[in-house]
Amino acid sequence: MKHIIDRLFTVPNGLFVVLLLIQLLPGKATRIVDHPEYTVGLTLIFEVILLTASFSIKEKQSRQVFTDIIGFIYAFLILWVLVTAKFNLFGNAKGAIFPPPGAVFMRFVDDINTILDNVRYSLVLIFQGYMLGVVAAIPLGLFLGWHARVGAAAGYIAKFLSSISPIIYIPYAIVLLPTFRSASVFVIVVASFWPALASTMSGVLNVEKRIIDSGKALGLNRLTMLFRVILPASLPQIFIGCNQGLSVSFILLISAEMIGARSGMGYYVNTYADFGNYTSALAGVFVIGIVVTVITFLFNLLQRFLLKWKQ
Amino acid sequence: MSKIEVKNLFVEYSDNNKSFLALKDISFRVEEGEFVSVIGSSGCGKSTLLSILLGLKLPASGSATIDGRSITGAGTDRGVVFQHYSLFPWMTVRSNVAFGVKQSRKGLSHRQRLEIADRFLEKVNLPDFAHKYPFQLSGGMQQSAAIARALAMDTDILLMDEPFGAIDAKNRTIMQELLLSLWEGDGKTAKKTVVFVTHDIDEAIFLSDKIVMLSNSPGHVFREITVPFVRPRNRFAIFGTDAYSKLRNELMSLFYLDVAEKIGGDEVVI
Repeated sequence: MKHIIDRLFTVPNGLFVVLLLIQLLPGKATRIVDHPEYTVGLTLIFEVILLTASFSIKEKQSRQVFTDIIGFIYAFLILWVLVTAKFNLFGNAKGAIFPPPGAVFMRFVDDINTILDNVRYSLVLIFQGYMLGVVAAIPLGLFLGWHARVGAAAGYIAKFLSSISPIIYIPYAIVLLPTFRSASVFVIVVASFWPALASTMSGVLNVEKRIIDSGKALGLNRLTMLFRVILPASLPQIFIGCNQGLSVSFILLISAEMIGARSGMGYYVNTYADFGNYTSALAGVFVIGIVVTVITFLFNLLQRFLLKWKQ
Repeated sequence: MSKIEVKNLFVEYSDNNKSFLALKDISFRVEEGEFVSVIGSSGCGKSTLLSILLGLKLPASGSATIDGRSITGAGTDRGVVFQHYSLFPWMTVRSNVAFGVKQSRKGLSHRQRLEIADRFLEKVNLPDFAHKYPFQLSGGMQQSAAIARALAMDTDILLMDEPFGAIDAKNRTIMQELLLSLWEGDGKTAKKTVVFVTHDIDEAIFLSDKIVMLSNSPGHVFREITVPFVRPRNRFAIFGTDAYSKLRNELMSLFYLDVAEKIGGDEVVI
């Protein structure tokens, strides 16, 4: 009984009640009309997730982190509702740039098909570019790291080149490659290639010497040594570069799409922003945030699975 | 012909154009089926000697031969157990053993290799840990698994570099007995030739037929001592006998005599 009360009377649940109650306050007429039923609907979805989590996650610390995250989302929504729909702090002149949350969520629901099409376009593009970059970088990094002589020089070159923001390549890629799409893929290949290469090389160079001796003592041939010993031993380090490459790729893709694409999430946000439709633009921004978070989460699951042998 | 023969062996390490002598004029033999321990204090070059036998390092001059042939590189005729990282951390215990078998015994199917792995994990009392990763095992269990792999590889020679050096005293005695019972076997199959590096005098006496004592750096053979106790050995039957005390005292005095010589005969504080 006590633990049920403990898990119900929490700060996030308190914020949930506050968020519902402030919807009852009289509002001001805003330039963009609020649709509080959408905010309430979203809040109820969050609360179902919150309650499920608080009674199903066994470990105390991860349960708290999870419910706290939703608590922060509630706090943010409360602030947003108060600043826009309830007090109209920006006035009607700037009101278009700061629409109330209900309006944004409604737009999201109404426009879901277009949004999903654009998400799909961006994801296919990033998947192609990222895979090409990483698949090229890891074997090359293994080879260069293993041949220390070539590797030492290549390491410095890789560090130098990876410090150049791949944004620089965008104009060249647009001029040199036939379509804007291929130019975007190229930029993502570059963005994911250098960090993956640099981290693979440093991973190989830092493999515990005793592990290499252990492999040599088994009389492993070169290929077996490289792919059954050096590769798995460097994997923790390789993942650092791949993580970095993934987040840079997303940032670059969205920026590239904002420059000249005809589809994709960056295009979606940019087009509406250009026409002063910030309700749609914000809906797109939230979708980008959610998509990137989900992809990062899945990537971390993969990482945890492949590195489950690590303490 | 001896199984392993080391003759006038010199080994150098070079670092930034400076080279220093790690082993100086080492000669000894190991007969087929003999258990030989190499002892000496840390830094005397005993691990270097083992890397020569493993083929991980080549001598500056002199020779190290197996069955009369020079050791030119690592080979699957030798199984090895190191103090750390004998097992690959990313493979389960069972995969580690099967992977070793794959390297040394060609022409077996995947299934046969796993069967061999399971059989040897049973021998070292680890069947319940077959699907665990090394980090999930205690230090002693990891070394048991490494021994299982070395034995499963079915090599003529077993090279061990302070395999029990990082294990607590109680488990170390258990591991020594396990190793000895596996090596002595049932008397039907031929015994493996073992070179066992350690700095523990009691361990060396309990396990070996012969002890090669190395002096401090550059290491050279200080003394070769034959251990007279009959096999199969029982720790409690040996410990406390006059022969044991005499042997132990002899080794201890050699050990400290060597230390004293190296620091110029001054009083030794240990």
